[in-house]
Amino acid sequence: MNFRGQQAANRRKTIGLLVGMGVLVWLVALAALTYFGQSTTAIVPIAVGIALVSVWGSYYGSDKLVLTMTGAKLIQESDNPKLFGLIQEITIASGLPMPKVAIVIDSAPNAFATGRNQDHALIAFTTGILDAMDRDQLQGVIAHELAHVANRDTLVSAVAATTAGAIAILSDMLMRMMWFGGGRDRDRSGGNPILLVFSLLILILAPIAAVLLKSAISRKRESLADATAVAFTRNPAGLRSALEVLERDSTVVRQKSNSIAHIWIESPLDAKAVSKMFATHPPIAERIAVLKAMESLN
Amino acid sequence: MEIIIVLGVIALVVLFFVAQYNRLIRLNISVDEAWAQIEVQLKRRADLIPNLVESVKGYAAHEQSTFDAVVTARAKATTASTVADTAAADGMLTQALRGLLAVAEAYPDLKASANFISLQEELATTENKVAFSRQFYNDNVRELNTAVKTVPTNFFAGFAKVTEREFYEVEDPQDRKAPSVKF
Repeated sequence: MNFRGQQAANRRKTIGLLVGMGVLVWLVALAALTYFGQSTTAIVPIAVGIALVSVWGSYYGSDKLVLTMTGAKLIQESDNPKLFGLIQEITIASGLPMPKVAIVIDSAPNAFATGRNQDHALIAFTTGILDAMDRDQLQGVIAHELAHVANRDTLVSAVAATTAGAIAILSDMLMRMMWFGGGRDRDRSGGNPILLVFSLLILILAPIAAVLLKSAISRKRESLADATAVAFTRNPAGLRSALEVLERDSTVVRQKSNSIAHIWIESPLDAKAVSKMFATHPPIAERIAVLKAMESLN
Repeated sequence: MEIIIVLGVIALVVLFFVAQYNRLIRLNISVDEAWAQIEVQLKRRADLIPNLVESVKGYAAHEQSTFDAVVTARAKATTASTVADTAAADGMLTQALRGLLAVAEAYPDLKASANFISLQEELATTENKVAFSRQFYNDNVRELNTAVKTVPTNFFAGFAKVTEREFYEVEDPQDRKAPSVKF
């Protein structure tokens, strides 16, 4: 499949997954109403509200927040003219404004992009990646990061985090109500027992399902960024060989926090992930294979 | 009641017209902006050439024909104005610069000089910027031309005075030439 096909497919799948998230929230609300009765009606907006407030702040200030969380330092053009030249190339290819550029002092090769929109975008590189990669490889990595900016992935992951957060808060609140026997209308003559068991099951499983959906969205956005990167450079070989460098390298970025693992080009956590289903990135070998297929089209 | 429905329909039709018209104008402006970007990058490259030629001359003074080719191509590139002329001159200059760098290959002292290395990096990034600005321009032209030719925007093209635009096609002899085999 060429990059246009890849982009369309990944966009479609993201929308499908976000709809899945919406359906999940609706199911949890329905289960709560079935199990506890009308007294829980107010809980859904409260949970969504809490999640929204907690995620929105970090979304809005993502460029500054991530700087402190990763220890990245902003640099100017005179600090690294070659890197700035490479980034300017991709801004011309993509029509994006010039992002802020930062360096993380870490020998593990990695890079990330963040910021709430194009005008507040920030891309950062570890010193390791700048040392390990040649011009074409670095160009591919920059294109991948700017593709995240062009595809508004900070927003997409904020939406996913909000919904997953709301579901977690919701099911947590409802579970507590259950233990303390609070909400349940004892007077109501039970209702359908099968429906009750079913509702309980939904409340227990929903948070796990939400995390799975969130990871799946993150993986689709990574594949989309790879395809968009090729749309910018028209050179799948550059990004492919960059990913091969990352694949060979076994060092991992020393993170201060696991909560931003998903923003790096190569996930610092996925090696430890219990299963592929919880991974924030598609397996690197799979990404290389997709890019190789694009190369053979040229 | 009927009046409201009629007015509503008229409002929707007007909104639709405005949207089509604006889309065409926006696409046309994007092409202009993309064109301006090509000119900026070509100018950057033209400005870089004197330094580069000087730096090579210092080590390889007798390669006069190569320098002449670059200087002529640069002069043509800086005076061209239409899309086709600019593209042709751009192709020639790219070719001439390739020749200059090939000459430099034969002088190890030159290749090792710090000044030349930084010029070479600057030329590499500038060549890429020129190529990407061409690609961006052509993508914008493609989108505009599709809009001018397809329903419903094609009905508004005449009214908005937006017409198809010319692609920026660089004649690069190296792309067409079959690889020569020597024994």
